[in-house]
Formats: sequence, structure tokens, C-alpha cells
Amino acid sequence: MQWLLTLETNNDMISVCRLMNIFRRKNLKITTLAMTARPSAFSLMSVVESAEADLDHLFNFLRRIEGVQHVTCYRHESFRNASFVFIDSEEDNSGVAQVLKAFPESKLIFASHGKYLLEIPVEKRRSPALAGSRDPAFLPFACVKTTRSATHPELARVQA
Amino acid sequence: MPKLYSGSELLLESLSRQKVEVLFGLPGGAVLPLYDALYSAGIRHLLVRHEQAAAFAADGYARVTGKPGVCLGTSGPGATNLITGLTSALMDSIPVVALTGQVPLSLMGKDAFQEADTIGISLPSTKQSFLVRSAAEVPSVIQKAFKAAVSGRPGPVLVDLPKSVLMENAEANYPPIAGPELPERVREWTDDDVERAVDMILESRRAVLYAGGGVITANASDELRELADLTHIPLTTTLMGLGCFPSRHPLSLGMLGMHGAYATNMAICQCDLLIAVGARFDDRVTGRLDSFAPNAKKIHLDVDPSEVNKNVRVDLALVGDAKETLRALLAALKRRNATPPTERQQWLQRIEAWRSEHPLTYDKYANNVKPQFVIETLSQYASDDAIVAVDVGQHQMWGAQFWNFTRPRAWLSSSGLGSMGYGFPAAMGAQMAFPDRQVIAIVGDGGFQMTLNDLATVVQYRVPVKIAIINNRALGMVRQWQEIFFEKRYCDTDLDFAPDFVKLAEAYGIRGARVEHRTDVADAVQDFLSDREPRLIDFWVDPAENVYPIVPPGASLAEMVVEPPRVLVEEEALDDLWAV
Repeated sequence: MQWLLTLETNNDMISVCRLMNIFRRKNLKITTLAMTARPSAFSLMSVVESAEADLDHLFNFLRRIEGVQHVTCYRHESFRNASFVFIDSEEDNSGVAQVLKAFPESKLIFASHGKYLLEIPVEKRRSPALAGSRDPAFLPFACVKTTRSATHPELARVQA
Repeated sequence: MPKLYSGSELLLESLSRQKVEVLFGLPGGAVLPLYDALYSAGIRHLLVRHEQAAAFAADGYARVTGKPGVCLGTSGPGATNLITGLTSALMDSIPVVALTGQVPLSLMGKDAFQEADTIGISLPSTKQSFLVRSAAEVPSVIQKAFKAAVSGRPGPVLVDLPKSVLMENAEANYPPIAGPELPERVREWTDDDVERAVDMILESRRAVLYAGGGVITANASDELRELADLTHIPLTTTLMGLGCFPSRHPLSLGMLGMHGAYATNMAICQCDLLIAVGARFDDRVTGRLDSFAPNAKKIHLDVDPSEVNKNVRVDLALVGDAKETLRALLAALKRRNATPPTERQQWLQRIEAWRSEHPLTYDKYANNVKPQFVIETLSQYASDDAIVAVDVGQHQMWGAQFWNFTRPRAWLSSSGLGSMGYGFPAAMGAQMAFPDRQVIAIVGDGGFQMTLNDLATVVQYRVPVKIAIINNRALGMVRQWQEIFFEKRYCDTDLDFAPDFVKLAEAYGIRGARVEHRTDVADAVQDFLSDREPRLIDFWVDPAENVYPIVPPGASLAEMVVEPPRVLVEEEALDDLWAV
């Protein structure tokens, strides 16, 4: 099962090293990993593969790690049920432009090195435009768990 | 001009503010500035003979006091030698703060003499690791370290201190604290969750309470006992939970799992409700997962949300401090004014029948010294408030089965990691916390040889630890597995080539004695425990004795082997002859 994890840690690199070690130890297969640094925090976004039964434990394990400030877990979904889109555009930003054009109200959750996580506006989630995004670089997700109190989690808004 | 203090002075003052009474450590180049400051500081330091003993001693201190134990090592090998002890503390959720020296900041990453990537090495062995980059940040880092060690699920924390930081001067800027850090614990349950738990308890006919080390960490033994008494639910403990419930309480089932009693494991197999409190369903407890308490609904009380549904799916999780959660459960039960269902009495009778069918026992008429008899005798003559520290292996399991537990924080065992060599230094740490209590280290001849060099430490500081060696001239538990599961192909588990422990003790200046006959055990134990000096006693026990019951690896609890295969008739006849 494919999951997308976003994590925010304090600005201590030790916390990030610990997270990477946990990913290895918990046997997560990392498909994509992006990280950004800000003066007060590190933000990570990773698409991983793991058994669905392990997700509860993984989420809870990550959220109680010292130095981890927020964890949000997204499940790979059909476009029909998705509220978030992950785009791995590598060097071609046309995919992002396409989504932003179709959904100008969408919210940028994470961006780093051509990898974007966008939240699609509620009223547009079942839009044919989104459903038509069959490019393998587009992965639809639904948020299933978050440590953030807000309904819609929001991580670092960082420079693409 | 404000007064300046060295990083070492700031560190020692920060430790004083955390009410640290004793450090367990061993000096080296990178921590020389710290030891120089220690020369005139008010904190006691126990010079161990190997840093692993420092970590184990800090762990023992923490288990008996509930406060973080502090160990100290220099850079490089000093730090790496601490790692086993820290990993053990992590597995058992014990608050330990490890202070390690590091090469000066300017040399870090240059492969300097005695440089090791202590932070990197410590990551999987600690709850949190800090690298201090300036003397000014020493007070705040120490405060964070102590807070992290005790908060939530406690655990070990490492603070890496470059020599340049220890020597650098800075203003003293201590964060405001009134005393030692108090634990902060989350509460994620609601009143509705508690009511649901009460419903499940009242509906159950064959409930079992299953208590782990979390009960002791939360100082929740009284609440747990009240819950058992109020509901008439029998209670089993993990190896870590021993002592949180009195062994001789009518509802006590003792330890469960791989070496749990027959009645206990049968109760788990047939219960209809299992209430886990501060326990983590580890593999030595559950046996084969798909057949663990197969007919039971499960409630899990734990401070660590990541333990919920990790190994066993539960029907209801109450994430929070065990004491607070149990109090909420008790209050809700009392509000309902509910009485235990009558079927619960039948359940207790059934458990009693199992107990009669296969009691925990051994050959009490054997001519040789049975290790279980030694444990029982030590328990019989030990003080009421004695602390017992065990090593790892067969004697540890016999200790768990045959020691009479009466109080929490008096049983020290490297339970999760199972680190041999733990018992003796842990006892030393406990004795430093409670100089007036009797502290007994029950060790095997294998494990003791891993840390016996600290006999020098107990003599130097007159630490009156009592060391009882259960000597079967073998790595007994491994040999037992070779016997049962590897067709008696005994490979390198024979420890016949061992020192004479009595002479060894005497060489260190400790009185030693050897016991080889069953009839001598009681007198020897009484003499051994009669004074306030470190003492060693070497019990030559039956090397063929094995730990039973045993659940074979990968089997369910119901598949436990309750007793050894019947011995050959000739051997039985020989035994009879000896008995005459």
C-alpha cells in the first residue's frame, strides 16, 4: 500500500537522522523523499510503501519521537476520493501548472525539488479535470491521520 | 562584568539543580575538564571499571528511585561502551541520562583520537540525543535531557559534550526549575472511552488483568491492586511488571508467557477479556500471535500510543498515564456500584484447578542443589524491603517464578534487551540509591563473568551488595535450548573453565563462600545476608536443571511444555538410592 507522509521536525539535524533510521528500521520502502530546511524546522515529504496494518503503529511511533512536531499521513486513493495530489514533476513543471490552472484555489502544502503536494478545493474534488489527471507523475491521496488540530493539515510553504 | 563559568561547572550545577546525587562513570581525555570540576563539586561519583557497568548502574538507580540515573563516559570507547546499557534502558523504558565526552568541536569529523560518532551510534539506542555546541547552552540542554528522560514513555537520553564546550566559559543562565523534572504524560482517552471499558469489564465473565512495567513507571500499583480487588479479576504480570502486585495475593497469577505458569497461560488462552496495563504484548509474552488470547476482547492502557495495535489488535485503547487512567476506571466502576458477576468466582476456581494440576514446582527432595530452592531460600531470608537484581538467563526466570514479590521498584532485570552482565552493576546502582536497604544481585556464572571487574568498585566504595551466583557451569539458557530444540548438540555453552569465584572474591577483598549441598543452603544464605558488607556466595547448582514450563518458539501459549520429559528409569532408581 502506498502512503504519503509529511513530517515537520525541530531544526536539529539529529531529529532528521533519527527519522531516517526509523524509516529503515520499520522497513518502509521509500519511493520518493524530499526535504526542505528552514531556520526553525525541517520538513520532509515521502511516498512510502507499507502494509496497511502497520500504519497505525507507524503514525503513532513517528508522532511521539522527540523533535517531531507534526506528522500527517495520506493514503493513496482513487482520484474520485482524493483531496490531495502529489506531483513529481522532476524538471518539467507543466504538471503543476496544469493543476494550478485547473484549480487556481488549490493550496500548496509542500514543494521541494519538483515534488509538490497540493490540496484540491473541496468543491472541485470530483471535478472531471482532476479525474482526468492520469499521468503517472500524479498521485492522488486522502489525508487519514494528522497531528494537526486543523481539519486540513498544512506544512511548510517553501520555495519550489 | 557578569561572572563566567566553564561548561563543566555549568554542567555540574545543572545536574545539582536536577537533584542528581550520584554519577556512575569513568574518566578519560575528553572529559578531563569535567572531572576537574567534579573534584570540588558536591556530586558523588562512583568510579566503575567499565562504562557498561556505569550505564547498568544508572539504570538500576533509576528503577528503584523513579528518577533518572546518570552515567558518564569519555569520548570514543567510553561512549560506545555505554551503548548496551542505554539500549537496555530504552527497551525497558528506564530514564537514564548519559553524558559523553567528545573531541573538541574543531576536531569533530576529522577522525581525531578517541573520536566516535556518538550521536549517530546512539540514535537507535536512545529516546533523544543532544550535541552541545556551546557552554552557554549547557543548562538548557541538560534541562531538556532530563525532561525527555522522564516524560511520556521514559527512556535514555544522551548528551554529547565536546571538550571545547566543557572548557569554554559562559554566563550562567539556568532555566527556572524548582526541582527535578516532572514527567509530562499525554491523555488521549475520553470519559466515554472509560465508560466503554467499564461496560466491557462488567460484561466479562473470564477477565484477566495483564500488567507490565508501565504500572511501576507510573507508580500505579495501588490503583491496580484496587482494580483487581474491586472486580475480582486475576492478575498476571510481565517480567517487567513483577512487584507491581504481591505474589501471594489470592488474585496473583505470577508471570505469563514463555516461562509463565501453566495456570497463568491457560487463563490467557481462555479469558474473554484481557486488560493490558503498561504492557506491550511482546513476543516472549504472546507466543504465536494469532493464538494469543484468541477469545478475548482486549483493552490496552498505555502511555505510548505507538504500542497500541503494534503486535496485537485491541478493541479499546486508553492512551495515557497508567495511574490516572486506572483512577478514572476505578471512579467509573464505583459510580456504577457494580459487583463482579458471579461467574467470575467460577473462573477463579477454574484457574485454581489448573494451578493444582500443574503447580510451579521442582524436585524438592533432590540430593543436589536445585537453583529454584536457592532462589526460594534467598527470598525467604531477605529483608522485607530487599531489592533483587538479576542477570539474564535461567536464574532470571527462576527468580521471576520463585521470588516472593511484595513491592514495586525492588526487582531489576534487563528484560527487553536481555543483556547478560546487567545484574551486578544494576544492584550497585540500586545500593547507591538506598544505602540502608538490602540489595541482592542474583547472577549466573556466565553473566557475572561479563561485569565482575566491578567487584573492585563495591570494595572501594564499601557498597554492601550481596552477590549470589547460581553456578551451573554453563550458559544455562542457551544450553537448555540446545538440549530441547537442537537435539542436545551442545556447542560452546560449557563454562567449566571458569575462575574459582570464592578465591576471586577474596582477591578483591570480599568474603566468599561456596555451597554444594542442599542441606547447607539455608545456613549459608542466613550468614550471607547477615552483615552490611559486600559478599559473594557461589551456589553450585544442578547443571541439568531446566526452566519449565516453556513455550517453544513460534508456538502458542497453549502448547507450553509444562515439565521435563520423564527421566530414564535407571536414573530415577539412582536418585532414590541417593535419597536414602
